[in-house]
Amino acid sequence: MKEQWRLLQTGFNNAFFNMAVDEAVLINCSRGKVPPTVRFYGWNPPAISIGYFQSLEDEIDLDFCEKIGVDYVRRITGGGAVFHDTELTYSIVVPESHHSVSKNIMDSYGRICGAVIRGFGFLGIKSSYAPINDIVVDGRKISGSAQTRKMRTVLQHGTVLMDVDVDRMFSLLMVPSEKIRDKLISDVKQRVTSIKKVLGKEIVFDEVAIAMKKGFEEEFDVELVEGNLTDNEIVMAKKIEKDRFLSKDWNHRS
Amino acid sequence: MEGKSIYKVPNGKLLKIFLDYNKKTGFINEISITGDFFAYPEEAIEVLENELKGVLLDRDMLINKINSVIQKHGIQFIGLDAEGLTHGILMCKK
Repeated sequence: MKEQWRLLQTGFNNAFFNMAVDEAVLINCSRGKVPPTVRFYGWNPPAISIGYFQSLEDEIDLDFCEKIGVDYVRRITGGGAVFHDTELTYSIVVPESHHSVSKNIMDSYGRICGAVIRGFGFLGIKSSYAPINDIVVDGRKISGSAQTRKMRTVLQHGTVLMDVDVDRMFSLLMVPSEKIRDKLISDVKQRVTSIKKVLGKEIVFDEVAIAMKKGFEEEFDVELVEGNLTDNEIVMAKKIEKDRFLSKDWNHRS
Repeated sequence: MEGKSIYKVPNGKLLKIFLDYNKKTGFINEISITGDFFAYPEEAIEVLENELKGVLLDRDMLINKINSVIQKHGIQFIGLDAEGLTHGILMCKK
């Protein structure tokens, strides 16, 4: 019988709760309270997340975000700024001791991205891993990931771009100078793609989730069993949301 | 004296450094190391920023200090290294 992991489909939530849930699952898994977990989720309202080491004011046009109702949050993982709009976000939480994840961080990026690549395969998209943390189709980025390790447990989360609006994305991000904004936008348009662009049609969130579920099951040779957050995870997530992700100290520190 | 640098680490990520230093003596007062790199454990970056206070803006001094902090705290960088960090810091000097 295959090993069983938990699958969480938490739907669409705001950025602060989304990030808090990933952390709550990480903590609970590290304490052995919940099994290894794969989670699929979306963002409502759309939001920008920045990497742990980035400077909020340096990366994001905060006034414009507030004006058009885009939230922003600092992640507990490193990496770059991401505009989360029409995408499926995955997260995976596994103890470091599990045979599925390498002690070597780079190797484990590759392995987890392998699950997402298989997922794209089920949608009829041929993609490949572009180290450090991207997945590309014909050289264009379709997914980016970030990993942290705490309490001997791995958390990796990442985007699966269903559609992308580069103009909107760049209206929210700071650019070194206005002069090069147009050039940057056209460069990024060349370097980023999405499921919609590749397939020439829209694929709904649930369909992407089904494909990604199969991808993770196949890559890790496990059965993903749909479950729910435990009461403890929900309580903890709400506390982390308030204490960390909604706090100005956390989001604005440089 | 304040300085800022933006440096794409070769084969790595985009490093952005904010530096406050004494122009006369060349010692670091404050430093903020930001960017889209990865470091494990993440909190070690704050340790590194603290340890760099009072260090002379000199290539050898910086690289030795950075390497010793990396070793002492078992820091693992992805998309960044001591060499790149040193280069980024020195670029802040006017």
